[in-house]
Amino acid sequence: MQRISIPPRNNWQTAVEQLGFGFHTANTPYWDESAYYEFSLAEIDLIEKASAKLWEHCLGAVEHVISQRLYNRFSIPENFIPYIEKTWEEDHPAIYGRFDLCYRDGQVKLLEFNADTPTSLYEAGIVQWFWLQDFDKDKDQFNSIHEKLIAYWKYLQTYLHPGRLHFACVKESLEDLTNTEYLRDCAIQSGLDTRLLFIDDVGWNTENHYFADLQDEPILNIFKLYPWEWMVEEEFGTNILTDKNAAFWIEPAWKMILSNKAILPTLWELYPDCPYLLPAYFEPGHLTDYVRKPILSREGANIELMQNNTLLQETGGDYGREGHIYQQLFTLPSFNGKHPVLGSWIIGQEPAGIGIRESDSLVTDNLSRFIPHLIT
Amino acid sequence: MKKTKYIELALITAALASCHQPTPQWHSANNTYIRSDSTAPYTRMQNPYANAGLCYYAFRPYGLFYNGLYRRAGYYSNALSEEVNIGHNAFKSKVVRGGFGESSLSVES
Repeated sequence: MQRISIPPRNNWQTAVEQLGFGFHTANTPYWDESAYYEFSLAEIDLIEKASAKLWEHCLGAVEHVISQRLYNRFSIPENFIPYIEKTWEEDHPAIYGRFDLCYRDGQVKLLEFNADTPTSLYEAGIVQWFWLQDFDKDKDQFNSIHEKLIAYWKYLQTYLHPGRLHFACVKESLEDLTNTEYLRDCAIQSGLDTRLLFIDDVGWNTENHYFADLQDEPILNIFKLYPWEWMVEEEFGTNILTDKNAAFWIEPAWKMILSNKAILPTLWELYPDCPYLLPAYFEPGHLTDYVRKPILSREGANIELMQNNTLLQETGGDYGREGHIYQQLFTLPSFNGKHPVLGSWIIGQEPAGIGIRESDSLVTDNLSRFIPHLIT
Repeated sequence: MKKTKYIELALITAALASCHQPTPQWHSANNTYIRSDSTAPYTRMQNPYANAGLCYYAFRPYGLFYNGLYRRAGYYSNALSEEVNIGHNAFKSKVVRGGFGESSLSVES
């Protein structure tokens, strides 16, 4: 793995905006094509193999949590437990997830799994693909996200309720809208009938007990870029438990288990010989070099990095009331002070590609940049 | 090859590229187009105060109490016709909205 500096394309902003990528720059640059990461095919094969094995272990871990009823570790509200179990046992449709991996010294290690509401999909599937077409179209890239999304939406059609698939996200975020609309784009190309609405416009018919869109038509299948951990805390979410139509929510509720960092010590308990897992525990005292993470948090908030029991770095935020886990410290590699995290996408049940976010610190936060990659 | 061979976008470039289009000039000095429900047609409102630069339309939220909490069902304005207030939404008063979306402005994860 190498980091190569290059001059950006002339008028790159126009080029990405023409793809519908409107959030390439916030207060600081987000899309950054002043560099790219270069991998050998052997390295990509390793990352792909690791991602496939981690997915297999994650499914085993979900089965373990459900069969052993370990919900208290995950701070999951009791009233939602039967529903979560139902979505697992009935194999409710799921489409994607993103492993955050550290690749250093020839090793791949799982940092965490965003299994419910991963973003940066558009950058990974589309923007960096088109960048490569301009930069060097004969080069390869670990990126079959687009074709896998279309293929998997097509496969899921027979598992959905007959009728429309709604797509919902929050109203105020262009990034969230772009991610959602991209997934809807792929669903349209697979032949599905779709409709977009914002999450706060999702209605509940109080007389007939079903979810309704803005035309008051029933919602039977709905993709949501909105986390389960928020929905189960909002009273409106309890309507899911009494929905006469039993609408399919994508991602399904069992994904709550995987997107919760309590899955990390659970995976370690079950698969201590897996070379892609880091030791992790629910209690302090097992590790002298560790990262303390809230079981529910976003974008690197409320993280403490400890080395020899001395604070290396910490981040602020409002998370942590549900509890913490302790994961072996495995610092991100440094390329002249730039620290990349590999976002490895699972589409359907298969590894589909990677997107790389880079930070100036050891914790990948909301100031991180997206850097494209290619395979030599 | 590990990359997708060919990419075509059906929706997103059209939908989001429209963000960069010049804003349609719907607002002449005398005409304002308005509606109270996303299922309703727009109606052209004459603005008798255009020369004075004044234009007020009051929209009031309405809804119902549900499980002890007030939930928004929509908006209405006395300045608009019933059709423009309700649209297709004959069962509007039975559907509560706004229950999701309170937790944050963005998911970003």
